[in-house]
Amino acid sequence: MKTFLSKIYIIGFMVLTLGFMALIWKVTFHQIIVEYQNRKKSEQITDMRKEKERLSADPTFQSAIMEGEERVKHYLGYRVLEDTRIEGHFHHIDFNVIPDKGSYCITCHGDIPHDKSKELRAFANMHASFIACQTCHIRLEGEKRTGVFKWYARGTGEITDSPVKEGVLPGRYQAKIIPFENENGRLQRMDNPERMLFAAEFKKKEPELSELQKTKARKIIHNIVSKQPHICEDCHQQQAPILPFKELGYPEKRVNAFISTEVIGMIKNYTKFYMPRMLHPGQADDGSTPSGDK
Amino acid sequence: MPKAACRFLVTLWGFICLFLICAPSVSFCADIGNCLLCHKYPGLSRVDENGKLRLLYINEAIFNTSMHAKVKCEGCHPDIQKIPHDPAKKVDCLIQCHIVEPSSEQKFSHKDVAEFLKKSVHSPLDADGKPKPFPEDFPDCKKCHDNPLYRPMSFNKMMLPGISVTALGRCRVCHKKDDFIYQFYNHVTTRLRRSRNPKNIAESCARCHDNPILMKRHNLSTKAVYSYGESFHGKAATFLDERIPDCLDCHVNPGESVHQMLGYKNPQSAVSAQNKGRICANAECHPSATPKMAEYKVHAEFNLNQSPVRYYFTVFFIALTGGTLLPLMGIIFLDCLRRLFPNTVLIQRKKKHE
Amino acid sequence: MNKTTIIMVKNGKKFFFRFSVNQRIQHLILATCVVVLVLTGMPLKFHYTFWAQYLYALFGGIHMAPIIHRMAGIVLILLFVYHIIYLIRTIWRGQIVPLKQKEGLSIVRLIRLLLDQPLMPNFKDLKDIFDLFKYLLFLTSERPQGAQFTWKEKFDYWAPFWGIVIIGASGAIMWGKEIATQWLPGEVINFALIAHSDEALLAALFLFIWHWYNVHFSTSVFPMGTAFLTGYLSEELMIEEHYEYYIEVMKQEGFENEILPPHQGGGNDNIKKKPMEEIHSASELPRIL
Repeated sequence: MKTFLSKIYIIGFMVLTLGFMALIWKVTFHQIIVEYQNRKKSEQITDMRKEKERLSADPTFQSAIMEGEERVKHYLGYRVLEDTRIEGHFHHIDFNVIPDKGSYCITCHGDIPHDKSKELRAFANMHASFIACQTCHIRLEGEKRTGVFKWYARGTGEITDSPVKEGVLPGRYQAKIIPFENENGRLQRMDNPERMLFAAEFKKKEPELSELQKTKARKIIHNIVSKQPHICEDCHQQQAPILPFKELGYPEKRVNAFISTEVIGMIKNYTKFYMPRMLHPGQADDGSTPSGDK
Repeated sequence: MPKAACRFLVTLWGFICLFLICAPSVSFCADIGNCLLCHKYPGLSRVDENGKLRLLYINEAIFNTSMHAKVKCEGCHPDIQKIPHDPAKKVDCLIQCHIVEPSSEQKFSHKDVAEFLKKSVHSPLDADGKPKPFPEDFPDCKKCHDNPLYRPMSFNKMMLPGISVTALGRCRVCHKKDDFIYQFYNHVTTRLRRSRNPKNIAESCARCHDNPILMKRHNLSTKAVYSYGESFHGKAATFLDERIPDCLDCHVNPGESVHQMLGYKNPQSAVSAQNKGRICANAECHPSATPKMAEYKVHAEFNLNQSPVRYYFTVFFIALTGGTLLPLMGIIFLDCLRRLFPNTVLIQRKKKHE
Repeated sequence: MNKTTIIMVKNGKKFFFRFSVNQRIQHLILATCVVVLVLTGMPLKFHYTFWAQYLYALFGGIHMAPIIHRMAGIVLILLFVYHIIYLIRTIWRGQIVPLKQKEGLSIVRLIRLLLDQPLMPNFKDLKDIFDLFKYLLFLTSERPQGAQFTWKEKFDYWAPFWGIVIIGASGAIMWGKEIATQWLPGEVINFALIAHSDEALLAALFLFIWHWYNVHFSTSVFPMGTAFLTGYLSEELMIEEHYEYYIEVMKQEGFENEILPPHQGGGNDNIKKKPMEEIHSASELPRIL
């Protein structure tokens, strides 16, 4: 036993020694190689400088997408504010959104999907940060309709308690509202596992599919989507709002705010100025389908 | 007036006063237009045609700890006047905002800063007013500044950064408005030092000055912030020392606006050949330093082109370290291997002990 | 000075004298200083790593750690100065004065005397290194028969010796930069920084891997060698590393009949496996052979 342990120990130490050798290589001779490569790279840039057009060309994927955002720590003395730095953005954010693992829509459409209707897109995106796509873009009619809505956690996709609590600022939830449908008398999440699996499978196999197959798949994925989504007034009203605010955990004060004169007035204002599009907010001026769906 | 009504009014007045006194110290937010009704939601955003995220969210709590807390939204965004908004214009930092500068009693503007910037090496125009090559690379306000946040100091206790409650109490002896006290304390104590710590300053400069393509375009040879980071000053900045000099301390003459930074070729510049000797000997830094000390290469890099002597000096030590340690590691490895098979010998010549 | 016991017999086991109390204290101070210096210095060299700030915070961060670093540096330099004095005094009193009295002093004799110091590298070391490789590459089962101080120990001695000179001098330049640059050009600080940090890395890795492996982590001594505390080395290790010296000492101290055979690959198992038996039979062994 003792011999065995000492053998294990020796082998462990050998591995450790190899690790140390790699480390020593990295902090010594490797540095000379790095310096050489950097020098060569720098000379290449000088060459690029001669061809001015290469510098003024369109942004590369790397520069536009990969290097866009940077985490910055602001050392304020009494606290450290860690923020995402968005190029050219002036105001601080101090709020981090957990990626939405529960939604299969955003894998294609992204997290900030609305951009067609100029006046509404920011509002729609704002609501999309705490309301699942299905809530507005599917109109449940007849038997299917249950009137049940619940919160799911962005991180896990699991149904969770209402994040609307004392101390949590409005809209700063790590959860979204998802509707439930009536499937043969059974209460079922609109984003049921079968639908999620279908979409995931499509996403995975997309490069191999023929154009016809892709069209078929998209049709099936989107067949539950209503032509006309719910509009602001469907919820921002006193009589029969689509969302059961109370069950979703909103205190009366907040519910009153949703239907306050300020909010309603603003919606009216928008409706007055942008009447035609307000009634068909999902459809863009040019009549094309929402982005990401092409 | 009936007595009851009188009493009611007095009570009401009392309540109003009580409310004013007890109002939380963050109540000075300048949201008169009720912009936060919508803009308090973090999701209020879109992606524009160039693929840039337009985040329209305002974090009220953070904004209220920023130097612009007193400025109304319309102060900087005067073009936004109605709901629904027209497409908003880019903010012009040089406009007069609603703040009145107390010493001149004029409406405040950052125009002077722009004047300094125009004379500096960071201006996109050269001395003759002609655009320099690649004028788009030169910084505007927002390239270096996001909304500056208060970094208040606490004077009477060493351990508690931030606002000193007892100091606020002393302010309250004479000044009645808590908003004012809070604001004034924050502003003054923040301004006693930089609004950013050396590390944040260096990061800000690094966005351009460590970008090899930008540096090549403008014929600058060093990765300035990287090399600063390799000096003791830079390392201390990494460990969040507030007293350590950052980029601005050496590159701007003491007492001048940092916006008027001059190139090293400019004789007026703090880092010009004539003035360089005085940098280290600053009374707050190394008062006994001679001009020779300023010959220290702050922006030294391990780079053959920059200094062959330093390069080969470093290579010597690298070779010494690697050349000593790697063979020794090899011996340890072989020693372990030998201990793993203690009785194995490849050439069995003599086994005299058996 | 009291006559030190070269071979101490305790419970039937022999222990061989290595280091005097003075030397052990010197070593302890050296070791403590080096550990402190490395812990307070390496976070600066590797400031970009995640662990640097935590390690630095342990020593009081940027405000305190540099002070601790300098204090440890001062102690180390003082120790170095003391060691040089100690060295000169020991050689002077113990060797040069007797030499003077016996044969008279000449430059040739002095140089030869200095070259004969036990820690001076010599040709035997080259031979030992060659033999070691023969052993490590499974070409022979015999370990090199080391003298009083093997080449490893000489390395262990001279590496910090050279290290303290380089690191101490460059450190002093960086500390007293205002004074140093009264005469020297400012760029000397750049060179001092390079020398200080690179040499320190060499020293740290050398000591913490190579030295510690040899004296603590190798299976012969694991988990800890004790010679640096007790000043005495066990017989097994003496045979393994210093066989030549072992025979010399054994003869000198009159244990001629108890000399054990040299280390045979895993061969000192015959000692390790049955220590009780060994104690009884140790004196018999040579006769059996």
